[in-house]
Amino acid sequence: MKGLASDLPRLGLLSLGAAVILAPYVFMLSASVKPGGEIFQATLELWPRRFYGVENYSKALGAVPLLRFLLNGAAVCAIILALQLLFAVPCAYALAKLEWPGRGTVFALVLLGLLIPAHVPALPLYVALAKLGLLDGYTALAAPFAVSVFAVFMFRQAFKALPDELIQAARLDGMGEGAIVWRVILPNAWPTATAFATFSVVAHWNDLFWPLIVIQTERMATPALGVLFFRAEEGGNDVGALMAASVITTLPMVAAFLLAQRRFIQGVATAGLKG
Amino acid sequence: MITRRLALGTALAAPFVRPARAAPTELVVHYPMPAFFKDVMDQVGQAFTRDNPETTVRFPAPSPTYEDALQLVLRQATAGGLPDVSFQGLNRLRFLAERNILADLGPFLAQDRDPAASGWTPSILGLAKVGGKQVGLTFSASNPVCYFNANLVKRAGGDPENFPKDWDGVLALAGKIAALGDGISSMHFRWPGDDWMFSALLYGYGGQMLTADEKQVAFGDAGLKALTLLDRMVKEGKMPPLTTDAAFQAFYAGKLGIIMGTTAYIGQFQRSAGPTVDLQTTRMPVITPGGKLPTGGNAVVMLTKDPARQAAAWQFMRFAAGPVGQTIMVRGTGYVPSNTLTLEDDRYLGAFYRENKLFRPAMEQIPIMQPWYAFPGSNGVRITQTIVDNLARIVEQRATPQEVLRDVTDEVQKLLPRA
Amino acid sequence: MAGLLLAGPAVLGLAVLLLLPTAALLLVSLTDLEMGGPPLQWVGLGNYAELLRDAAFRGALRNTLVYVAAVLPLSVGLGLGVALLIEGGVRGRTFFRAVYFLPVVSLLVAMATAWEYLLHPTIGPVNAVLRLLGVAPVNWLGSSDWVLTSLCAIGVWENVGYVVVLFLAGLTAIPPELRAAAETDGAARAWDRFWLVTWPMLGPTTLFVVTIVAIRCLRVFDTVAALTKGGPNKASEVLLHLMYREGFTYFRIGYSAAITTVFLAVVLALVLLQTRVLERRVHYS
Repeated sequence: MKGLASDLPRLGLLSLGAAVILAPYVFMLSASVKPGGEIFQATLELWPRRFYGVENYSKALGAVPLLRFLLNGAAVCAIILALQLLFAVPCAYALAKLEWPGRGTVFALVLLGLLIPAHVPALPLYVALAKLGLLDGYTALAAPFAVSVFAVFMFRQAFKALPDELIQAARLDGMGEGAIVWRVILPNAWPTATAFATFSVVAHWNDLFWPLIVIQTERMATPALGVLFFRAEEGGNDVGALMAASVITTLPMVAAFLLAQRRFIQGVATAGLKG
Repeated sequence: MITRRLALGTALAAPFVRPARAAPTELVVHYPMPAFFKDVMDQVGQAFTRDNPETTVRFPAPSPTYEDALQLVLRQATAGGLPDVSFQGLNRLRFLAERNILADLGPFLAQDRDPAASGWTPSILGLAKVGGKQVGLTFSASNPVCYFNANLVKRAGGDPENFPKDWDGVLALAGKIAALGDGISSMHFRWPGDDWMFSALLYGYGGQMLTADEKQVAFGDAGLKALTLLDRMVKEGKMPPLTTDAAFQAFYAGKLGIIMGTTAYIGQFQRSAGPTVDLQTTRMPVITPGGKLPTGGNAVVMLTKDPARQAAAWQFMRFAAGPVGQTIMVRGTGYVPSNTLTLEDDRYLGAFYRENKLFRPAMEQIPIMQPWYAFPGSNGVRITQTIVDNLARIVEQRATPQEVLRDVTDEVQKLLPRA
Repeated sequence: MAGLLLAGPAVLGLAVLLLLPTAALLLVSLTDLEMGGPPLQWVGLGNYAELLRDAAFRGALRNTLVYVAAVLPLSVGLGLGVALLIEGGVRGRTFFRAVYFLPVVSLLVAMATAWEYLLHPTIGPVNAVLRLLGVAPVNWLGSSDWVLTSLCAIGVWENVGYVVVLFLAGLTAIPPELRAAAETDGAARAWDRFWLVTWPMLGPTTLFVVTIVAIRCLRVFDTVAALTKGGPNKASEVLLHLMYREGFTYFRIGYSAAITTVFLAVVLALVLLQTRVLERRVHYS
């Protein structure tokens, strides 16, 4: 380990950057424990004169069933991830390791899919789901995201790097291709799976656009929608409660990232950044 | 397989099976802006069910804004799943009515011998009429009022008890507030967002948005005066080009003196204003005698077409727009009641207005309220945005009132439905 | 054969959930469909012609490209710098990694109010710091001159963490022996080591990072929707927000679909350009 003195410039620069990054969060935390009248002031006062944390957080949890939203968020993200793995992993394997007619076309389609943002198929999908009577539930929230081209892309890169001998040995053992995928290939690409899981969960936990359209009953709302509830038009915000709700909805993500950090970076590294 | 024994058994059992009591009707009621209305709606729902036990009320997820509420109804009208009743912004009723989404309330009102006796005067009913058809019952109405921080007014040498009643006076005071320095801004006239406050100036000069046949833009002369007044707000009143959120935040921090906007802001101002702010309200400055003010707010509309549900829906709507519902609404927000009975009777709001000075100016301005204008055709929302964009040019001092008048007239004309 | 079976469900899903709706939208862009309006009529390229005449569209296109041009190099550059700093020592790695990644996991709607406060012209800390430094305060979000700059700054804030984590991953993939070898070969200064060993080895990572961040930038929406709604006077309007506004606020689905098609074309063009330019420079070991 380098001596502290020579490490200081590095730490100093990093801390400066970190301060800029953290600035909005400092405000967020500070506002979440202040009463309305103290949040916007001309002077910088981080600690409230009147501690309002209990009121703000109870309002955030009580005015809407925020915990229920967190549960919905967790459930939906889990379902989406499961579906994505189910569809993408076999496909990625097929693209990476097998020869079959149409392989090139499928890969081109995958690349094309990467470029299409979620907003594009939104309206046609909404109408279709509505006609099928499937709105306002986990199906509607998860279905459009079931196939992730990003997953196919990432896993393909990772699988390509796996040695062919592994697969040949499994075939010699009499395993069918399907079994190979789930029992040999995926376990060997666990870091990639963690990395992808992080990307996926982060994207869908915070998704606002789609739940805003398909959710009609409060009970089914996701975390992002729950926070939006406190943000009314034109400063009608109950800022204290809004910030409290924001803190509550961000916390799980932060905790999860802290736990999965190392694996995540490992996973991204093996996902084909070596070409 | 129906055996004889089974059939016999059922036949014998029949008289002993009690007829099931009719299940209560569940009314689905959709509303916008939960930050303003959630508590109000919950209370109205409970009070209604207490009086009408055979109907329960369910509120699906409320929409964040009037625009979202409109989109939701439009989407569900196409894809299915419409609620029975919804609350929509007054200026969007026309859009929905033109697409035959709203039920005609005429026959229901006719059951009421004398609407005025129930507290609904023709002018109140008129706010929710489109093309002569009654498509909604006004629920919450608002008009523009002038909010100020009495501390800043005093520091600038003004008298909060005698706040200027005309624009010359207000602009002069604003200029003095700006001169206080120390990061203090003078005023904010809520011009962003939509054309509502602009129409306040327009109507103040006795102008109209479109000609009577609604084919031509008619702001012309009054429009120029309105734009010039906005220009004066910047030049004389030193109004900075802030977003409305920034203006509110500065106001809460005691760094902005005057805000002109809807009376609906009262609730949040009371909650968020800091300790250095002495919040007071007063009527809008008079432009010309006989000038009018636009009415904001929303009305409750009926979406269900099923006659049985319609009856239940009507009962709810009457209740919400009736004295009890209106009292709950006013106490919970800064809006003005849409029912005259509430004002006269101490059981409802008679005492309320005596005790709560902040709410009075809006109430006093009720006689000069005029409906919120809705542009015909399908470009209504776009037209309001065009007006706002052009107002921004004046506020940022990038164009003169004459130039803006010419451009906005041109652009709005192009967006009107072609004959 | 097994390949087809394994890939089959994904392809089917892709077709139904992504490609078919997109094709439908392309078709719709050739009509004048309005939500809840009169029955649709074929207008061919009429919507596209209108787009060319529409100042709001041209502005949105320009703003989106400017946004990418500003945010992409800045996030990638700063992100790389931060990644190198984090990786350059042992102290605080976990902490700084988590801090820089925080914006990526945060809900923008929630952060919007925080940003409004920070960037407030009169009571905000940013301008307070500027005043201390003797610089005139700036109307960050309310002035058409500055609003796009502010959004770009927030964009960099949002994306830096993503870049940092991706580069950290790439850096761990570089064998330490290579760097040690470079040192013994006389590349004693850190800068030389970087230029000769690290940078070339980061080739594939850089390509990946640049592509991902470019697409994220092109898809900018949340900040505009939460903070400025395209204003003042369209100074901060971007493609996806305009598409949303035309489709969901003005209900002109056909026109909105046309904007989306143009958006897709821009994305395709940019990614192709990037891949061609960068792949030539990427070093594959």
